[in-house]
Amino acid sequence: MDSKSLVLVALFTAIIVVLGLIPPIMVAVIPVPIHAQSLGVLLAGIVLGARHGALSVLLLIALVAIGLPVLSGGRGGLSVFLSPTAGYLLGYLPAAWMTGWAADRVHDLPIRGWKVLAGLLAAAILGVLITHVVGIAWLIAYVGLSPLEAIVGDLIFVPGDLVKAALAAYVGRIIHENFGRRLIAS
Amino acid sequence: MTAAPGAVLERLPATTKLAALFCISVLLFLTTSPSLLGAAAGAILVACLLLCREALVQWLKAWPLLLTIGIFALWKAFADGYHEALVLLLRLGTLSLVATVVTVTTSIRQFIDTITRLARPLEKLGIGNAHDIGLAIGLVMRLIPDVRQRYLAVVDAHRARGLPLRPSTLFVPMIIGMLKGADDMANAIDARGIRADTRTEKKVGHG
Repeated sequence: MDSKSLVLVALFTAIIVVLGLIPPIMVAVIPVPIHAQSLGVLLAGIVLGARHGALSVLLLIALVAIGLPVLSGGRGGLSVFLSPTAGYLLGYLPAAWMTGWAADRVHDLPIRGWKVLAGLLAAAILGVLITHVVGIAWLIAYVGLSPLEAIVGDLIFVPGDLVKAALAAYVGRIIHENFGRRLIAS
Repeated sequence: MTAAPGAVLERLPATTKLAALFCISVLLFLTTSPSLLGAAAGAILVACLLLCREALVQWLKAWPLLLTIGIFALWKAFADGYHEALVLLLRLGTLSLVATVVTVTTSIRQFIDTITRLARPLEKLGIGNAHDIGLAIGLVMRLIPDVRQRYLAVVDAHRARGLPLRPSTLFVPMIIGMLKGADDMANAIDARGIRADTRTEKKVGHG
């Protein structure tokens, strides 16, 4: 990995951390606060691609593990991994990977304009789905909720995350247009 | 001069503490008896009071986590009865306390060294460079204020133009600005030879 990739991976980890710090922004259409580190995770996947996006999230997880308060609300430390909602944090890793993988496929296709946006949106939604699946699986396996309970509890957060997916796709498309496809030489 | 009682925990290697945390979490999930779990919780609480009061303080300070556990326990009590709720509360409460003890008694330096050591096998497989982990963690620390600064600058730019703060007009200038800065930082790292041992790899990478 060259130094530029290393800096970009660290940069997106920093962006994910800061997204947990800034005050929530209300989205006009749906009254859901964008207070979300998951937005940063999707962006890391879309902008950096599968490998480096996942490394960015891995770095975030490492920062949490060594006890730095990098998650929203100043959470950090090993206790985060033993909390009922740890699945969502762990789910970020495959989510960033799969979103990045799908975004790379979209950039490979000979399409332009709104089709790119739709493709990136699908990639981001894939990431959201994976995060929620891992989160639900953790609720079932670790907390002992029934699948129905876990899914119903989870659904509250789906609309907000879909807004974030749309935002990540939008930002990802503009960055792609400005920087071209090889942001990272690897 | 005798060392503080908590220093015993601080002197233990991080890997030992992590292994202990893992074993305790497995043990707590093997039993569903509230009395056994209660005894374990009580023992750990007393041990914390004697050995590491700082962990107890930090544990209570992390009240959002405790609140989350509480909400899940309430739901359990409502859905499955008090026995299940008590088991959940004791299990997760105890585990979060033990995890906090490990976090409090292990310095960041020790953690980074441990992660670097654990990553060595990956390095041998050709996946990354274990020494980059410490550098990457330092870079994130260095970049967090930068990202925040840029966020505030873009917010000010909106304000100056009388524009409403919309995510679409916020994130794009923020990220594009940071991406441009990344080049300079990468050059600075290479110019200082911080990753001197990977220079050959870099040449190959660029082909």
